[in-house]
Order: sequence, then C-alpha cells, then structure tokens
Amino acid sequence: MTDTFTVYLVDDDPGVLKALSRLLQAKGYVVKPFSSPQVFLEEHDAAVPGCAVLDVSMPGLDGLEIQRVLTAASGYHRPVMFITGKGDIPTSVRAMKAGAIDFLTKPVKDKDLFEAVSRAKARDAESRRFHSEMESVQAKLSNLTPREREVFTHVVAGRLNKQIAGDLGTVEKTIKVHRSRMMEKLGIRTVADLVRMAEKLNLSK
Amino acid sequence: MTRTRIVGWSIGLLFLLVGDARAAERTRVLMLHAFNYSFPATSVIAEAARKRLAEHSKLVEIDAEFLDLARNTDEAHSLRTATFIRDKYGKHPPDLVITLGSNALPFVIKYRDMLPDVPVVFASISPQTYAALRPPPEMTGIITSFDLARTLSLAEQLQPEARRLFVIAGSGETDRRWQPIARKMIEERGGKFETTFLFELPYSELVAELSKVPNDAIVILLSVFADAEGKAFVPAQVAADLSALSPAPVYGPYDTFIGNGVVGGFVETFESVGVAAAEMAIEIMEGADPATLTPRTNPAQHYRVDYRAMQRWDLKEKDLPPDTLVLFKKPTIWDEYRGTVLAALSVLGLQTAFLGALLIQRRRRQRVEELLKDSEERMTFAAAAANIGLWQFDRDTDKLWVTEHCRALFGLPSDAPLTREAFLATVHPDDLETANRSIRRTSRTERPSASDVRIVLPSGDLRWIRMRARSFTEGNGEPKQLGGIFVDITDQKSAEAETALQRLEIEHLMRVSVLGELSGSIAHEVNQPLTAILSNAQAALHLLAQNSPALAEIREALEDIVHEDNRAGEVIHRLRSLLKKGERKMESININDLVRSTISLLNSELIGRDISVRLDLESSVLLARGDSVQLQQVLLNLVMNSMDAMASTPMNRRSIVISTRGAKTGMVDVLVRDRGHGIRPEANGRLFEPFYTTKDHGLGLGLSLCSTIVKTHQGKLTLINAEGGGAVAAFSLPVHQLSRGST
Repeated sequence: MTDTFTVYLVDDDPGVLKALSRLLQAKGYVVKPFSSPQVFLEEHDAAVPGCAVLDVSMPGLDGLEIQRVLTAASGYHRPVMFITGKGDIPTSVRAMKAGAIDFLTKPVKDKDLFEAVSRAKARDAESRRFHSEMESVQAKLSNLTPREREVFTHVVAGRLNKQIAGDLGTVEKTIKVHRSRMMEKLGIRTVADLVRMAEKLNLSK
Repeated sequence: MTRTRIVGWSIGLLFLLVGDARAAERTRVLMLHAFNYSFPATSVIAEAARKRLAEHSKLVEIDAEFLDLARNTDEAHSLRTATFIRDKYGKHPPDLVITLGSNALPFVIKYRDMLPDVPVVFASISPQTYAALRPPPEMTGIITSFDLARTLSLAEQLQPEARRLFVIAGSGETDRRWQPIARKMIEERGGKFETTFLFELPYSELVAELSKVPNDAIVILLSVFADAEGKAFVPAQVAADLSALSPAPVYGPYDTFIGNGVVGGFVETFESVGVAAAEMAIEIMEGADPATLTPRTNPAQHYRVDYRAMQRWDLKEKDLPPDTLVLFKKPTIWDEYRGTVLAALSVLGLQTAFLGALLIQRRRRQRVEELLKDSEERMTFAAAAANIGLWQFDRDTDKLWVTEHCRALFGLPSDAPLTREAFLATVHPDDLETANRSIRRTSRTERPSASDVRIVLPSGDLRWIRMRARSFTEGNGEPKQLGGIFVDITDQKSAEAETALQRLEIEHLMRVSVLGELSGSIAHEVNQPLTAILSNAQAALHLLAQNSPALAEIREALEDIVHEDNRAGEVIHRLRSLLKKGERKMESININDLVRSTISLLNSELIGRDISVRLDLESSVLLARGDSVQLQQVLLNLVMNSMDAMASTPMNRRSIVISTRGAKTGMVDVLVRDRGHGIRPEANGRLFEPFYTTKDHGLGLGLSLCSTIVKTHQGKLTLINAEGGGAVAAFSLPVHQLSRGST
C-alpha cells in the first residue's frame, strides 16, 4: 500500500495504452495501465491516491459505466477523466455531469493530459484530506455518550443551555457539564467550530 | 459309216411302206359348182373346203365340175351335163360329192343315177329350200340360217345407250320373209326398244324416213330386193346407199353388206360354209353313215364388223363381242408382227428401262446435287446474313473449307487464299495459343468447344471472333473432320465490357457508401495509432528534456511510433483500396486474413454498437482465388447487415460469429451468424433482388451485388435463418489451394 499518486489508465487499444503510459511516466507519474475494464475494476484500490484515465469506447464496459461503478463501490470520489476518439457532445455532457475532471479527445496533447491529471491530483488530495478529517470527526463523535450527542445536536441547532435543559427535561447545569465534556471530546473550543464541523458532516451524508 | 448306211436304208424302207398304205386310202371328192368358176361365192366356199380337206389328209383328190346352171337353165343342158358326169366318173365314181350353190343340190337329186350311192354334202342351202327339196337321207350338208337376234345384240353392245330401233325391209319375196322374223324377234326382246318398222315403203320415202333417224338409234337393214312401187334393187347396193345417208349406225345380217358401209352383224361367211361342209365330208370319209348325219346349221357364224363404219359412228372396238372379226382395219404393226414386235419391244423395253434407270439415276443424282447445292447456298447465305462464317477442316488432307463470308469476318483480301495459315495469321499474338489449344482439344474429343479470340484487322482494329468447333468421327472412331462456325462477337464483348464496367462502378459506389456509413469508426481506427504516435513522441520529448534521458525508453517510444504509423498506414491502405475504382484482380487470397482485416475495419463500429464478435476460423490456411477488395466488400456487407439486424437485440445478446471452413467438397465456406431478427417472412426470396431493402436507409443493392460478386468467383451466396434466432449468411468459394499448416 503506497501513498504515491497513481494514474490508473484503461484503454483497450494496447498501442494507445502503452503510449499514454509512457507519456505519463515521462512526466513522472506512477501509471497502472489496464487494457481490460473488468480487470481494472477488480484490481482497483480506492485507498491508493490517484486518478483514472478511461477510454470511453471499450468492449464490455465503457468508460462512463466504470465511472458509475467506481462511485457506487467506494462512496469515494476517485477523480476520473475520459479520453475518447469520438468526442460526441451527449457523451461528454453525461461524463461531466457525473463529475469527470475532463473529457479529452484523441489524439491527446500532453499539456492537456498533464493539466487534467494535475487537477485530478489536487482534487484527489483535497478529497482525501477532507475524507480523513471526516474520518477523525466521525471517530470523535463515536466517543460521545448518547446524552452528549443529543446536546451536540441541540447546540449546533443554536439552542441555549436553558432551552436545551428544558427540551431534555433536566437542569441547565447538567447541560453545561455535558456540553463541556462533548466539546472536550471533540477537541473543539468554540461553538463556531462546532457548527462548521456539523456542516461538513452534513455534506458528507 | 456302216451305221449311217443302215439308218439310210431303214428310212427308205419306211417310206415305201407308208407310201403303199396311203395309196390304198386315197379319197376322191367331186365338187359340183352350181355356177361357173368365176362365181365368187361358190369359189370361196370350194377353196375353203379344199383347204380344210387338204389339212385333214394329203391323200384327198379333188375334182371339180361347173354345172353353169344359172346361165343355162334349159333341161337339155342339165341332161347333157349329167350324162357327161356319168360317162366321166361312172367307172371310178368319187367317194363323195360336195355341191356348191343352192341350184346344184336339186340337180344332183334329179340325176341321182349318174353317181348312185355316192354320199352328197351340200352347202348354202336355205332352210326353206331344204324343206322343199326333201333330199334322200344319204345327202346331208350345211343349211344357212340367219340369226337376227345376234345381229341386234351386236348393235346393243356397241350402242348400250340406244333406245330407238329402226328396222328396214323391202317389198320383195325375200324381204317379206324377213318381216315376220324381225317382228317376232323384237317382240321377244320385250319393250326395250321403241321400234319403227320401215317396211313396204317406196324407196324415196324410205330414204326420207331414214334421214330423220336420231343419231343414237340403231338401224337394222334386212333386205330390199324391191320397194313398194315394185322397183327392183340389189340388196348390197341398197345397204351402201342407205348407210351413206343414215345418221345412225346401220347393221345387217348379210355378209355382203359388210364393206358397203354397214357396221356389221352376225353373219356367216362363205369360208365358214366351205369349212363346215369339209368337216362333214371328212366325217363321212372316216366311215360315218351320211344318213345318220343330219344337216347342220353352219356353226361358224361370226360377228363381223367394218372398222371404217365403226369409226364413222364412233363405235368402240372394246365394246365388240369376243371373237368378232374386224374387217377393213388397217392392220397395225402390232397385229402383223406381234411376235417380232413383242421381242423387239421387250428388247427395246429392257434397253429403255435400263436407259431410263440410268437416266433416272443420273437425274436423281443431279437433283440431289442441285438440292445439295441449293441447301448449301441457302445455308451459306443464311450464315452470311447472320454474320456467321462456316468452316470445315479435314485432318487427313490438311484442307480447310470456309464460306466466303469468312473473308469479310477476318478482313482477308479478296485474292488471299483461304488457308488455315491465312486465318491463323490474323489472330492476335496473345490469343494464338488459345486458338491452337481449342483446335487440339476439339480434335481429341467429340465434345464441341468454343473459344474467343481477337483478330487484328488490316486497319489495326481488333475484332472478337468466337470459334465454335466440333469434330466428326468417321468409321474407325478417329476424328477426321473438324467443323464449326466463326461468329463476330465484338459487339457482345464490348457490351459485356460495358456491363462489367457499370457493375464495377456500382460496386464501387456501394463500397463508398458503406465506408461513408463507417466513416466514424474508420476515423477512430486511424485515430488510435495517431494517438499512440503523438503520445509516444511527446513522451520521448519529455524524456529527452530530462537531465539523464532514458535512451532505451526513447528508442522504444520511437519504435512504437514506427509501428503505430504502419498500423495507421494499413488502415488507410485498406480504405484506399476499398475506395479505389479498378478492374478485378485475381489473386490468391488467404480467407482467414480476409476475415481478420475486414473485422479490423469494423472494430470500433462493433464496439460502438455493443456487438461482440467471435472468430471461429479454420486452423489450416484456406486459399481461394479472387479479388480481395470485392470479397472484402462482400464480407463487410454481410457483417454490417448482421449489425443492423441486431439493433433491437438486447445488448448482452448482441454477438456475431464469423466462421471459416475448408469443406471437404473443395470449397471454402465463410459463415456470418448473428442474433438479430433474422429474415422476415415477407423478405424471404427477395433478398437478392436489386433495390429490395428492409432498411430505412438502404439502397437495396448490397446483397444483390454480393451475390453477383460471389458468382463471378464461381461461388454461391446463401442467407438463411439460424436455429435459435438470427440469420446465417454464408458464401462458398472454390478452394484455390489447400495447404496444411500451423494457424
């Protein structure tokens, strides 16, 4: 398991596959070429940072289908870009709507390819960072008691301690204790940070 | 010598003996003529009798005495004559007396004592005279009786259509005796004739009546010794006069009428009387008792006719009764020299027949020759009109026969000899081998052959001649004659060329149209290597830009560039050949390669349509002879049809299987199977029709063209529904050469 950014290259044409691999490698990328989409899906590891460069038109599974499968499988947004011999508009629109980084037509200019790959790399890094944040937040949330989680929800909703106590049928002081413990467990000092965290969690849902 | 003498003696002795015996049997006959010797009738009778007697025996001696009783009617003459005969013949009386003429018999009876006991045979005595004389029994003879009925029957036979009868008799004693006889006879005939009796008429009236007689009537003249006015006539003269003026044929019972214009009748002749009398005499001489021999009616009565009279009234000789004596007919050579003529004729006939046969044969041969000539002329003319030349070649004599039209066909000058060499000289050098081969092949078998050769005309133009040839076997089975026709097929050839050109044009247009349809996919096929080339090149550039360039990697990149460029070049080459117009080029084709290269053109199209292709190719190399572009077109068409057919097939079922098989039948089979809708019932049987299509955008020429192309490759294209859905299109081509080898 490496953390090196890897370009997953899928094209059924061996000549093209080899040439694109060579180009990306010359630029210094780690490339994993696949001539079969099925083999690619089997060997794909979402944990590895990287992006997928997919040929649109391939026997068996085309690029758009692979994109869908990738998303459905991991719940993780692996940056995907397409290269195609027939740059027809409906296909490119569908691809872009599904979140593709780019839709490149063959023959691919190295600049365009590198630019797209570097964008994909940034997107992947960001996505990965966010993903790890979310993971730590989730881990912190899992440390809260049910009462603390209730208090978290009410605080994020903007309720005052007194109101929360009333809602939960207890005294304000008890709420204050739960609230300080919850803040401590989550490693957050201000209510503003707490709200931002809640927003992130909402986004990821 | 001795022997001869003995024979001589014997013969001499025999003669002596015979002579003696005959002397003993010698018979003497005395003929007593009533008239003098110049009286014709009795002379004829006597001569006929003498002949008959002489015929009977050479030992009959005949004496004759002429009583001349007509001129000397006095009793003294009779007595003198009787005395003379007694004195002359008394001592040696004759054995027999024959009287001639009716007056001679009464004389003999009266002077019976002059020659007592001598038998008497009389001739020409009428029944009436005989009855009146009552001769003694030893006197017998011939009584003349007229058979009028038979005279009439002669007339009836000569004139079967006649219905009117005129009977003439005068008013004399004899004439009147005839009248009742005639009436009775006609009465016995019944009502067959409408009869007019011209009896008892004055002669002038008779003549007037007779001249009014219709010309289809029968006139019978009995006798006219006197007319109603008492005028005396000689019957024979009357016969002559009346016959001359009668419109209808005249017949009569008297011998004397014949020769005087009368047609004829049943009459006795004086000769026959003589012969009959002689016959009776012979009987008596041979021992018959005259008393037992009753008088006879002359049996030798005859039908007698005058040929001249028959001709006058246009009567036919063939209608005469048998044994009719035809008088006054100029005897023909036939009649006179029947035997000689027959012999001559038969010789002549044989010669004629022989000559005739020869002539007929010659004529027949001439006719056959003429017919042959006509037939040949007609054939030659018809052949020339059809622009066909006829030829025949004899292998034995090396002689060539051709029709004149061949000269025009081959452009030979009018004075050039029509030899085999002259013809071969006109043949285009490239086709000379074809011409010779065709002749050799025909010589060996009896199968007719045809070959097309070009000939060079004097103008330098080319002309296509089709030479049809066939050999004819003669007797021993060795073909000797070659024959056939020459036909100018230049027009046909140019039409064929034109058609072929048009077909090529259409094929090309179809290919262009197919490629147009595939343009996107084909662009992709070119784009792929271009992509690889660009990427490789840029990769190489990036590598070069590095501090320590990885030269090995750069080399690989460049090698790949070359490879990918070749790949692109191949696609373009295939494309160009499919787009190119051109003549068919026959070459050896690896069928499996053909399938692979065709599929490579279609690759991206197949992917684009989500159709999987499986190739199930024969492991050995399959070679067929043909034009690769055309065959690729066929395969392209079939695969595209399969693709179109699967438009509504669920994606996971869309597949095409292309198989090749080197069948043991000597054919290469290529099968394209899809899982589409198959052949719809309404389309079945029409798929190969030009301009028939089931596609929205189709021209309807694809399969029609494919079928034509496969046929020109001596192959066959079929299209059937596959078991379990879809269709199978298959074409088979003759194997060019099947070599075992690795895949």
